[in-house]
Order: sequence, then structure tokens, then C-alpha cells
Amino acid sequence: MLEPDRRSPLHHRTEISAEEAAHLRELPFQGKIVLRGDAGSIGDAAADVLGAQLPVEPCGSALGANLAILWIGPDEWWIITEAGVERDTQARLSVALQGRHHQTVDVTDYYTTIEVAGLRVIEMLSKLTTLDLHRRAFPLGRVAGSMFAQTQATLWHAGSDEYDSPSFRLFVRWTTADYLWCLLAEAGREFGLPVQEPLAGETWRLAR
Amino acid sequence: MFLIPCPYCGERDQSEFAYAYQAHVHRPKDPDRLTDKEWADFVFIRDNPKGVFAERWIHAAGCRRYFNLMRNTATDEILAVYRIDEPQPKVEPALPATPSGEAPIGSGNDAVKVVKPAERGS
Ligand SMILES: [Zn+2]
Repeated sequence: MLEPDRRSPLHHRTEISAEEAAHLRELPFQGKIVLRGDAGSIGDAAADVLGAQLPVEPCGSALGANLAILWIGPDEWWIITEAGVERDTQARLSVALQGRHHQTVDVTDYYTTIEVAGLRVIEMLSKLTTLDLHRRAFPLGRVAGSMFAQTQATLWHAGSDEYDSPSFRLFVRWTTADYLWCLLAEAGREFGLPVQEPLAGETWRLAR
Repeated sequence: MFLIPCPYCGERDQSEFAYAYQAHVHRPKDPDRLTDKEWADFVFIRDNPKGVFAERWIHAAGCRRYFNLMRNTATDEILAVYRIDEPQPKVEPALPATPSGEAPIGSGNDAVKVVKPAERGS
């Protein structure tokens, strides 16, 4: 996506879809805030702002007021908001947590979000990662950081798509977003993901 | 696939982890009073046992936390996993007669080598 003052790392990519089998798109500029602290000390004050308790169960998540809270570590969470409201959310968190030992960092422009969903999405992702993505091992709401081919990313089972197939979000660093996008597109080719138009700066050959 | 149990996330593939060397190495409380040899020992010298070893790992691609792990360096069997703030647990490893399980005869491991009476000479 291109905006007058900034562009997302995958602005040169367009949504690609193989109908219900698989679809892939970037969700640019989603707000992402790192919150660190002791859940026992900051939990209640943070919940007042976020609309949900911080999930303390490892690899869990919670849905709050127009945002999601992802468990990243035992004293670390990510707040995922809609585009444009992250600074306001961070400011309200800082006010609510004043005087308590904590840290908030706006990492909106450090990561981008890739949405990958569809009937064959688990087979696509399994080509790239060692995580067990079976619905019993990776149910709705589960979060895990792992390696996807050669890049690190955080995977969140966020919901279902319009065909009732699982929908995942991948949070990946700006510099490796295009690499992961190309690998996902390649992984979905056998399930019908169309070849994209070759673009200047193409880093992965999609056509065979 | 080599699975490592993260104390927070559970079993994950080795590719998500990074090694962080020997555990329980404490920084000297009063480094000014150390001799050069003591300082060098702290900075450079680490144990390298064949057998049970307490070491640190970091779940680098996952929860990004350091933790401690006790491993039999000869067989790579993981004997215990514990958080940084937990004390080192007692483990009772079922070590083979030789640490790596090689045959006692002809193994080159003189400590356990069985010498048959016939070999003894005279
Ligand atoms: Zn972990």
C-alpha cells in the first residue's frame, strides 16, 4: 500500500487468491506495540485500557476493544491494533501504567502483517516451518514465533476466512517480508495461487 | 528433527534455539581484586565434560527467553530443563558404562577398558 508519507514493505505486491484453497495479502500499517512487564503488577491497569486481561497462558492470545493481545514471552505481549491508532493506544497505556515498572515500544514500522488463509493454508505453511499446525496442536488464538524457511516470524491463528477455513497472520520484519511473501506464494502454487506479474526487483522466480 | 523443550513454550525444533554456553557461571562480585589468572579463568575457561553438562539456551525464534538445560554431551539426551531463576535440579542419568555408549573393549577409553586375563601377558 502507498500512502503520501509512507509505503509498506509489500506495497509492490497485490493480493493473490486461489479462491477457497488459499489466499494471501498484506495488512499494511497494522499497529503493533510491545508491552513488557510483570503481569501481576501491570495486568489490571493494562486490562482497563485494552479491554481484556493479558493472556498469561504461553502461546495464547486475547481479544480486546478493537485490538488483540498476543503472548510473546512470560513478561512480553504484543498489542495489535487497527492502522493509525497505535500511538493513541500506547499513550493511554503509558498513562495507565505510570509508576509501575513496564515498557511500551511502538514497533508498527518494524514488522508488517501477512494474512494467509484458506483450505490448504496449513499445508502451505508446513512447507516453511517445523511448527505443528494441526488444529489440535495450533487451535484458534494460538501464537508462536518460529523460523519460516530462513526468516523468523510470529504466527497467529487469528480466525476463519469466508469459507470457514483457518486464517493466519504472520508478523515478519520489514526486510524479510518480501522473502516470506515470495515463499508463501510459491508454496501455494500447487493449490492454484496465480503467478504474479514479474516486477522490478523480483527476488524469487515464481514462473516455471 | 531434534526437539528441545522450552520451559515456557514446550517442545520445539532445534532450529528455533541458539546455544548460550555453560550455565551457572557467576560474574565475580569484586573483579578489581582478581588476579589476571582468576579473571582469565572467569572470561575464557569453561568446563567441557563428556557426560552431564548444565548449559544455557535461548529460544531465539520463539519466546526469546534464556533457560537452562542439562544434557548428556555424549548422547545429546536432555536430562532436565529449568528456568534461569530455578535451582539446578538433581538428575540421575542412566549413563552407559562408557559415556557415549561405545563398547568397553577397543573403545580407546582406557578408564573403562576391560583387560582380559589372557591379554595381561606373563
Ligand atoms: Zn519458548
